[in-house]
Amino acid sequence: MCNKRLIDWVVIVPLLAIIAAPGLIQTAFEVRNRERPGVFEVFDRAPTARNLHDFERDLERSSLVLRVLRPWVQYGRFRLLADPGEKAVAGRDGWLFYEPGVRFVVERRSEPWQPGRAAIDAIRAFRDELQARGIVLYVVPVPGKESVYPDQLAWRATDAGVIVPARTAWLFDELRRHGIAAIDLFTVFRQLRGGRVHASPLYLAQDTHWSPQGAQLAAHAVAERILRSGAIALGNRRYRARTAAVDRVGDLVLMLQSPAIEAFVSPERVLCRQVLEPDSDVPYHDEPAAEVLVLGDSFLRIYERDEPGSAGFLAQLASELQAPVASIVNDGGGATLVRQELARRPNLLKNKRVVIWEFAERDLRDALDGWHIVSLDRSNSIPR
Amino acid sequence: MVFTTSLFVFYFLPLVLALYFSLLEACRRLGASDRACSLVLNAVLVCASYVFYGWWEPWFVLLMLGVTAINYLCARVASRPSVDPRRKARATRLAILASLGTLGFFKYAPFLEQNLNDLLSWFGVERAPVLALSLPIGISFYVFHALSYTIDIERRTAAPVRSGLDFACYIAFFPQLVAGPIIRYNTVAEQLVHRTVSAERFRSGIVLFVLGFAKKILLANPMGRVADAAFGAQSPGALDAWFGAVAFSIQIYFDFAGYSDMAIGLARMIGFEFPRNFNAPYQSQSITDFWRRWHISLSTFLRDYLYIPLGGNRRGPIRTYVNLLVVMLLGGLWHGANWTYVVWGAYHGVLLALERYHGKRGFWLGMPRGIRVCGTLVLVLVSWVFFRAASLHDALIYLAAMCGQSSAGPAWLALPSLLYTRTSLAVMAVAGVVLAWPVQAHDWSREITGSRAMLIHPLFCLALLVMISQSFNPFLYFQF
Repeated sequence: MCNKRLIDWVVIVPLLAIIAAPGLIQTAFEVRNRERPGVFEVFDRAPTARNLHDFERDLERSSLVLRVLRPWVQYGRFRLLADPGEKAVAGRDGWLFYEPGVRFVVERRSEPWQPGRAAIDAIRAFRDELQARGIVLYVVPVPGKESVYPDQLAWRATDAGVIVPARTAWLFDELRRHGIAAIDLFTVFRQLRGGRVHASPLYLAQDTHWSPQGAQLAAHAVAERILRSGAIALGNRRYRARTAAVDRVGDLVLMLQSPAIEAFVSPERVLCRQVLEPDSDVPYHDEPAAEVLVLGDSFLRIYERDEPGSAGFLAQLASELQAPVASIVNDGGGATLVRQELARRPNLLKNKRVVIWEFAERDLRDALDGWHIVSLDRSNSIPR
Repeated sequence: MVFTTSLFVFYFLPLVLALYFSLLEACRRLGASDRACSLVLNAVLVCASYVFYGWWEPWFVLLMLGVTAINYLCARVASRPSVDPRRKARATRLAILASLGTLGFFKYAPFLEQNLNDLLSWFGVERAPVLALSLPIGISFYVFHALSYTIDIERRTAAPVRSGLDFACYIAFFPQLVAGPIIRYNTVAEQLVHRTVSAERFRSGIVLFVLGFAKKILLANPMGRVADAAFGAQSPGALDAWFGAVAFSIQIYFDFAGYSDMAIGLARMIGFEFPRNFNAPYQSQSITDFWRRWHISLSTFLRDYLYIPLGGNRRGPIRTYVNLLVVMLLGGLWHGANWTYVVWGAYHGVLLALERYHGKRGFWLGMPRGIRVCGTLVLVLVSWVFFRAASLHDALIYLAAMCGQSSAGPAWLALPSLLYTRTSLAVMAVAGVVLAWPVQAHDWSREITGSRAMLIHPLFCLALLVMISQSFNPFLYFQF
């Protein structure tokens, strides 16, 4: 009897302590810091579903215990089970992939596919507006890492080479049907890869983005296509270049939000080709009055505005064209936000002959803010 | 509110327990009568339950209050000793119609409209806009609770509640409010007035809660991610499709059984005793056996309030088969307004009828136990495809993939990265062991030895740690 009673208390007391501790610690911490306990904030808000869910989210985010424990749990899962959490998927040889990117390749699209239709409508409207101004549009869907290195993602794709997801194939078909110029980087990357992991991979192992070599190859392909079309002529600014080494902790590692994992994973060292202004050591910089305007997302930002600077797609493109370019870059906003910004800065279209519009292929499904038709005359947009 | 969130575990639950037991202690010290004490405690539970439920959408509470009020008042009229039988029947009918009408309107009106539109469009009639209603969470459960009370009163198998507060507590009781188990009124009538709270019961309740919590977080959620990937894939291969179906079978069992364990455990902590809702269903040797072990509270509800009133097996074999089919069709539809659930119900109804037809003569019963268990498992697994798929078309495509009918496209190449991860394989292996384990959580929690006690704390800590690091946390049965 006595033994049974002891077991009752041995079970009950620690379990109650476990459930009560986080709330009590949090309240004690806040009181000690002379703050009002966050839990009372529920009384400050009108009881609507949205307010209650916001309160719940805030409470969880501010929890001291959770903030301390969460990174260590992530670390444990990463080390023991090679489980990089919900935002990433573990590939082979330490490669990480962005989970929405993998789902973009894997998931079935519904019929009719509304996001895809909205994307085509937005692209057509943009092309028509530019055409009315005498400007040629080139659409550049950037392959996801999952499409270029499926062999690093799954054993089944060992000999697959570069794959074109069904949604992206549909996009190319639709663009062709509507007479919109698109630059196919899938074919470009496929030719280089030849089904093997190249000595200098085109994408970073622990990042969602391309490597300096990938950016360079893409810039070369885009420049070649534009020059061949005759939309602009080769310039005469002979940029110089130098090699710059950068150590990068991949964005996929940073997404895990665990300093222990960041410390465990060694940064990737990449060699960049930094473009310099002619006859000087000043790094390349955009010129708003250039003939070419480039719109795009973080694929344009990496190495260009990040370290080492002037070594990303934009600088490589300028180097290939032997002329500067202008640009609008918005992380994750390649679908709509860049065009909205262009609508707010109409002067940027002066003197333009070509607009290159880059976006990640997975934006067809997961575009930040969706695909909207943006009028360049008025800065309003029509939600689709 | 959801059981497996920080808000519930770290704030709501400790607060409710502290309030409940402080008031219980105060009542005891003041020498209050049992009845007074239970009224005070029921008031605490009702308030807590409304907060718990209103967290999703505060106006849902008003709807629940409406269902509660109408059933309480009608049953009150029907339970008067001197009531005219016709008036009694009218009151009962009104309560049933109002409850089922509410359920029907919120759950099935858009479905009916959609299908009517489809039908009329064949004759060239323009489609009408479909009502955009948000389904109040758990409505199927609390409507069934209310119906159980009204029918029990009408049948005089239970005494009417002594106060509206007791009835509100029965309907809104937060542990079983949104995903069951479906507790019939006569099961808890006595406990609403007198219940025993003890350290032993509390301990066994908290252990059952922890086991349910661990099932949900450690087994159901990881399998849910795998099932989502497989069922959403463009072209799963046969292996992928079977793997996904197995993952979903594990997810739905541990999701729902875990929720039931948590609900029964929470209720037990505060003095209520609910019957078990699952009894090793994947060890069933036939579909009939499966329905004796799966969601027992629903199957017994349907048996007592639908199958038997339809005549059960008393009106000859043909009528028995029809009754089985009708009950399972409606049981399927109860799960959701979608043809996939209707087909799922019909599939089980046909299998039950076939088993009834063969009776004890069937060759199936002559097979070794292992084969019967495996055969039943495969039949159940196939039925889950209809249950999980978004549409009948998707279900058929998925079944075709299970039979090897799919194309090897880019999606097929990349799919293994989402399915065969180290985590999913490890979880599936552990789930297999737990499923085959002869002792069920319900029984395990009652007999706590020293070694079992030592296992509970690390298990709870592990489940909590995993909970705080994951945002994927769906509860499948909430939508029903």
